[in-house]
Amino acid sequence: MESMVAKITQIILSPVLALIVGVFFLGLARKIMARIHWRYGPPLIQPVIDMIKLFYQKGVSHGRIFDLGIILSLAGSIVVVLFLPFGRIAPLSNSGGLLVILYMMLLAPLGMALSGGQGANPNISIGISRKLILSLGYEAPLLLILLAVMTHYKTISIVEVVSAQQSTSWSIISFPLFLSGLSYFLILPAILGIRPFDVSSAPQEISSGPMAEYGGKYLALATIEHAFVLFISIALFVNLFLGGAANPFIFFVKMLVVFVLGLCVNAVFPRFRIEQAIKYLWKWPTLLAFVSLIIIMAIRS
Amino acid sequence: MDRNQITKWLKAPAKMANKYSLHAIYFCTGCGIIEVPPVITARWDAERFGVIPVATPRQANLFLITGYVSVKTLRAIIRTYEQMLEPKYVIGFGSCPINGGMYWDSYNTIKHLDKYIPVDGWIAGCMPRPEAIIVAVTHLWTLIDKDMANGYVKYRENYEYYRRNQELALGKLEWPPLYPTE
Amino acid sequence: MSLEILLIIAFGGALFTYLVGKVSYKGRDFLAVAISLALVAFVACLYGKAGEETFYYGFLGLNLVLRLNMLSWFFAIAISSLGALCTIFSLSYMKARERTDFYFLMMLLVNAAMLGIVLAGDLISFYIFWEIMSWSAFLLISYNRGPALAAGMKYIIMSIIGSVCFLVGMLSLYVSFDTLNISQIASVIGSASSGYILFILTVFGIAFGIKNAVLPFHTWLPDAHSEAPAPFSAVLSGILIKMGTYGFLLVLYVIVGLKLFLGLGSGIFSFHSVLCLLGAVTIIIPTFIAVLQTDAKRLLAWSTIGQAGYIILGIAFGTNLALAGGIFHFFNHALFKALLFFAVGAVEFRTQTRDLDSLGGLAKKMPVVFIATLVGICALIGVPLTSGFVSKWLIYKTLILEGSPFLAFFALAGTWGTILYSYKLIHNVFLGQLPEKYKTVEKAPFSMQLPVVVLSVAILLFGILPGIPLKVIDLVGVSFGFEILNVTLRGIVSETGTLNTINIFSAVLVAAALVWLVFRSTTKSVPVTQEDSYAAGAHTPVDKYHYTVEFYNPLQKMIEPFLRDVIDEFYYWIASSVRSLASGVRRIYSGDVGNYVMYIILFLSLLIFVQMKWKVW
Repeated sequence: MESMVAKITQIILSPVLALIVGVFFLGLARKIMARIHWRYGPPLIQPVIDMIKLFYQKGVSHGRIFDLGIILSLAGSIVVVLFLPFGRIAPLSNSGGLLVILYMMLLAPLGMALSGGQGANPNISIGISRKLILSLGYEAPLLLILLAVMTHYKTISIVEVVSAQQSTSWSIISFPLFLSGLSYFLILPAILGIRPFDVSSAPQEISSGPMAEYGGKYLALATIEHAFVLFISIALFVNLFLGGAANPFIFFVKMLVVFVLGLCVNAVFPRFRIEQAIKYLWKWPTLLAFVSLIIIMAIRS
Repeated sequence: MDRNQITKWLKAPAKMANKYSLHAIYFCTGCGIIEVPPVITARWDAERFGVIPVATPRQANLFLITGYVSVKTLRAIIRTYEQMLEPKYVIGFGSCPINGGMYWDSYNTIKHLDKYIPVDGWIAGCMPRPEAIIVAVTHLWTLIDKDMANGYVKYRENYEYYRRNQELALGKLEWPPLYPTE
Repeated sequence: MSLEILLIIAFGGALFTYLVGKVSYKGRDFLAVAISLALVAFVACLYGKAGEETFYYGFLGLNLVLRLNMLSWFFAIAISSLGALCTIFSLSYMKARERTDFYFLMMLLVNAAMLGIVLAGDLISFYIFWEIMSWSAFLLISYNRGPALAAGMKYIIMSIIGSVCFLVGMLSLYVSFDTLNISQIASVIGSASSGYILFILTVFGIAFGIKNAVLPFHTWLPDAHSEAPAPFSAVLSGILIKMGTYGFLLVLYVIVGLKLFLGLGSGIFSFHSVLCLLGAVTIIIPTFIAVLQTDAKRLLAWSTIGQAGYIILGIAFGTNLALAGGIFHFFNHALFKALLFFAVGAVEFRTQTRDLDSLGGLAKKMPVVFIATLVGICALIGVPLTSGFVSKWLIYKTLILEGSPFLAFFALAGTWGTILYSYKLIHNVFLGQLPEKYKTVEKAPFSMQLPVVVLSVAILLFGILPGIPLKVIDLVGVSFGFEILNVTLRGIVSETGTLNTINIFSAVLVAAALVWLVFRSTTKSVPVTQEDSYAAGAHTPVDKYHYTVEFYNPLQKMIEPFLRDVIDEFYYWIASSVRSLASGVRRIYSGDVGNYVMYIILFLSLLIFVQMKWKVW
């Protein structure tokens, strides 16, 4: 009974914390980028102000799938958060592990792709096609990295990977996995969708891509979903390579460090074209991850 | 800035949010757009006021009509204005939208923008300096506080008037009326 | 006795339908559907009964044996249900066509032959039914005439090569063991040398590989599946390919047996790892070729080749989870590929085209088909809550846990290619701007909507409660000699983590409900028409505002040079060099009697010379 109550509190707490952290990161992103650009920047709660305004705005809807797509996408992101351990809060981590996370991460772009498709706008379609191609680009090294981690620790559960790191050392400084960690750090901007890889929602080229017809509450939900995706990608990196954490505060500090490093890259780089992005992603990160996997296989046999 | 007044926030969150998060659509209607990039970049940083440029009218609630309005541009301006989401605010920037300005005598420009879309505020000048945009935004905040920035409500209530003027200036319009009369 | 009755109903029903069709159309339609449904009911009643019946027909001194066990039952229920749904779909698809009696005869004959294959207990009856299936499929593929004739020719030639290999294997088994009964061969094969087993596996592997479209033998599939009539494409992709899978299972696990199969060869050159590698390559390359297609049915055909790679990988890998994943994926693939072919067939029926570059926006006009396609796409990708997720998850898990990360990488990368072409299919057909010429398209007729809805419900049901088919598959695995899996109604409980689909399902449902509440309680949104879309201040251009041509243009430019179909070119080169060799030989027959006399004199003088020199006789 007690564990039931604890589990339910964890299930409710986990997405709420993820939302707070994600929205905080969004505000922090704008502030830090502004400071790097020698400006002042908006206040840290600017994303909250934006979302309140958006919820009071009257959006336009292109049909039922337009509505349901964005709901599905956000629901998918919330469910992924439940499977990801955040410090000691790990409600559903025993049901499936890394593979379920890989699969549930599919629901977010799929939902957005479906709702965008009903928008009947080629800007949206081009944005979605670019997003899918970019996903294909970073999935090749990401799969090799995840397979290296799973093969090295002989498990598919993230909780076990975290506890293995707490007893030995962080993956990113352990012998075969530092190549994988380096490769993951190189593709992290692509997973987060920040410059130089924000080609799928390029405001100047394709009018915000999949979000071209989103206004009002749709844009607010899309922003919330962006916050969740930010949280999920960085939390996965911290769990797999930086040792997770024993309590949420240290976890949050680790996430903050990784995020600020990513932001520094975002602030100064221009945007890759899709072919350049794919060439980059399939060259060095894939090579590093592949070499790491070969080393692990050689050690095992 | 009255951002620290929590009670004001809790009583009217809609007004606070509308004031401090004005997303301007990045539509360069005329020559005045040259004054906008310095405003949104590091020199006069409009982002600290919550004003950022967005790419589509669906995400915007502020429309800056910068410079003269030719007849061809008027078609695009009306379409963009109608695709924006309510509540929406229009600011005429420069002397040309007010009364024709430098092109008061031309066959190809619109002399009074007020007849075609409702305008909430004007900035006189040929060109006004970038700081004028920031002053206009703060004036718009005062108007929003006093519930006087209701151009979009006027548009809805007097739609036949505006539509008739638009058809007189542009000929037949391809899009159906935004608020169809029963 | 009941197996014989089943086959008599199947074959006799086909002929009877043809005869009735000469008299009345409605009678023929009704009879075809009734026979298919009766077959489904019959097979369902046979669940759990195992048995073997021998018929002493004295055919070349051999007995014909019919046999039913769990594996046969599983395949038989899939064959009969899919056949019934196809017949229902054909009722309206073939409404105004010619030679419909012939079509229904062939369709029922193919189903009957496939039932015969899975019920065959010895190799000669297997071969007879295999041949009946092959040529009736050929007649149906070339039903449409035109380019379908060339496609059918390609199919039948490769199929005949496969059948000849099968015949060689069968004859060699008869010579070695003096029997063709499958269970008898299985009991004595332990005494054969491993070289002989390798030979048998290779020969049967070629035969079934051609049918199952494993990579070097796949080139007949895209043409055949895109030119066949739509309901038959569903049967082709869904079940006929899987007869090759059934053959593989029969040869690898029933005849040769698990220990011998895994013990053949060592390390990376063992037969089972070569087969796994072929399966992995079959996943990757056809999936990416499918991304580049512009014809809806060709895209689905290449997708079939890719998914068949998953099945081969699962079967060849050799653990009980992998076998369960492979067999379950066969079942799932039948469900969702048939659904997708039905959907594309319904669209083709209403709009007379399957060109992805010119369709669009049909979601508003054909909503039932759209929702069903959405479910099919989700199952194809393997979204959790659909049955495709469970089968793929089993395959991934066993690949990762058994330490083959490279095979796992191929399998997972194949999923991402699948996402790309599935989205292209649903976007170019159902989403986006509706062209002017399709504004008057009506909904699909009821007899097309029914199979599609039934298949979607089945996919969702088996996704939420995968225990239902997994129990049967587990029994199949046990009969092959694997250890039993711990199957509950909601998933598999194994040593390292639970696959608990109910957890995932309820989590997604609750999250979606919460978000929907937030969504509903905020400001209501204004519905707008399709034309009121952002177009940079202009009114949306009619018929030009849809992005379909070269949907993945940057990727296409990068990977197209690497995906040239060299195997197809190689086969065509063989065919043309045989043709030029034959035309060279033809020149001997010059038609001139003087030449022939000279040939005779030359040959006789050669014989005399040989006798004088070496005194041969």
